[in-house]
Amino acid sequence: MFYLSVFFQYMAQYIKTKLQYRTDLLVEFFSDLMSQAVNLIFILVVFGHTDLLHGWTRDEMIFIYGFFLVPFALFGAFFNIWDFNERYIVRGELDRVLTRPVHSLFQIILERMELESLLGAVTGFIIMGYAGSRLDLDFHWYDVPIFLLFVIGGMFIYAGVFIALATISFWSDARSSIMPMMYNISNYGRYPIDIYNRVIRYILTWVLPFAFVGVYPSAYFLGKKEWYVYSFLTPVMGVAFFVLALLLWNAGIKRYRGAGN
Amino acid sequence: MGNVIEVENLRKEFKAYSSRSGLMGAFRDLFTRNYKIIQAVHDISFTVNQGEMVGYIGENGAGKSTTIKMLTGILTPTAGKVSVNGMNPHKEREAFVRTIGVVFGQRSQLWWDIAVQESFRLLKKVYRVSDSDYKEHMEHVIETLDIGPLLDKPVRKLSLGQRMRCELAAALIHNPPLLFLDEPTIGLDVLVKLKIREFLKEINQKYNTTILLTTHDISDIEALCDRVIMLDEGKIIYDGSLQRLKENWGEGKQIQFTFSQEITSAELHPLTAAWGVKWSRGEQDNSWIAHVPKAHVSEIISCIVNHYEIQDLNLYEISTEEIIRNIYEEGVAHG
Repeated sequence: MFYLSVFFQYMAQYIKTKLQYRTDLLVEFFSDLMSQAVNLIFILVVFGHTDLLHGWTRDEMIFIYGFFLVPFALFGAFFNIWDFNERYIVRGELDRVLTRPVHSLFQIILERMELESLLGAVTGFIIMGYAGSRLDLDFHWYDVPIFLLFVIGGMFIYAGVFIALATISFWSDARSSIMPMMYNISNYGRYPIDIYNRVIRYILTWVLPFAFVGVYPSAYFLGKKEWYVYSFLTPVMGVAFFVLALLLWNAGIKRYRGAGN
Repeated sequence: MGNVIEVENLRKEFKAYSSRSGLMGAFRDLFTRNYKIIQAVHDISFTVNQGEMVGYIGENGAGKSTTIKMLTGILTPTAGKVSVNGMNPHKEREAFVRTIGVVFGQRSQLWWDIAVQESFRLLKKVYRVSDSDYKEHMEHVIETLDIGPLLDKPVRKLSLGQRMRCELAAALIHNPPLLFLDEPTIGLDVLVKLKIREFLKEINQKYNTTILLTTHDISDIEALCDRVIMLDEGKIIYDGSLQRLKENWGEGKQIQFTFSQEITSAELHPLTAAWGVKWSRGEQDNSWIAHVPKAHVSEIISCIVNHYEIQDLNLYEISTEEIIRNIYEEGVAHG
């Protein structure tokens, strides 16, 4: 409860700050909108050339991409910690965080909040709507809670992987280029998993489980019964990876060395 | 009057990696890296009572900040026992930090982009301070520090002195019984320094707040602290009252004579040898400084004045700063 009220306090503050720079906000909004539009056109062009891939139709693939955008937008809005090493370790901002009576990771997430990323989810819904209507998908009332469950599960998978990567900074003081690489790998999750060979499929399912952010949960909504087990594993994997990352974080914070003055 | 801080054989070691030279060296570094273990804080022990104001001093790299960071729960000690406000700082961090206030002079605690009062509001939430407590306590703090007019300005638009006063207020939002100040007066002008010192004295008297501060400015210590802990290379070399430090080390005075003609040390030495006076050349022409034991000041002056013609004469007390410099040059403090 306390954490929830702190969350809303930070969010209110964030919005207040953004509103102070009205022109900035407007420019940012339009540039975000533009980049989403470019994304949309890109998808339609790319998938325009393929009709069937390992039994997946063009519209099904577009739907997967649309779904993927929703957990990804949530991740971008709340777990924007790619510059953790630079900002909190090298510049020593973590000192300040650690003198406050709220969990350190929670504080960092609040400080790095970027709500405008949520716009990506809107694009996701448009794409899903477009693909879904062409596919004549059945829709039930219980799909709504399941959708939420899968989206949140996907977000936690992303968050877990990237938090785990951020904790590397506690053990090694070298700056690594692993973050951008991981962003690339994460993109593989939005294509049908059976187009890859077995090793990559295994990795995308159990090691860096990005398939749970795109293709597996979407399979449920596309009515692909052979994947249902994986679909419903999404929230389980999300919680498991997030808890693992949290444990790593708590162990890492003990090794924090601080930055010299 | 319990002990607020109890530290026993506290130690912090860092591994410092060194890289080999050349390309081959870089390859070898990939597999095994050379490192040295550096003892930033080496088995120190001390206790601090409720309501004390303690100055924690030492040269750069002596281990001051490392100690403070262990006491505030930021760093985990390598070995030893720490108990602050009856808690283990890094083990019960979140409950513990609610009982302390921290100001790092070189790092802002406030949010850069938002108005000061908004920062206060966030902190009030984070520290779970009730509206009535906040009102009662902070109104007074804001008034004393004279930061009322600054509250609606964003932190980035404040001057260093204005910011520092706001930082201090921010650290006191939850009215902590223990305050850590790491170089709170660094880079501030005299007036702001005085205001901050006045304020610290006041909250110490009013709330019996314990204050531990590090500083490079000895005048801060002289104005505020009855007790100093002096650190050198990770070890405590002096722990006691400032008064005792002065008595043991600051014995005697310096008398500067400016003579009207040139004098050599060979002429001066025999005259005052009986009192154990040491002479050194002053900065101006024909000036000499006598380092004199307190008891014999008047005899020495009359003796010199009787023998030579004098243009000017100055009497100096040895400053605390000089005492501290002497201690660092000679190592462990006696007494």
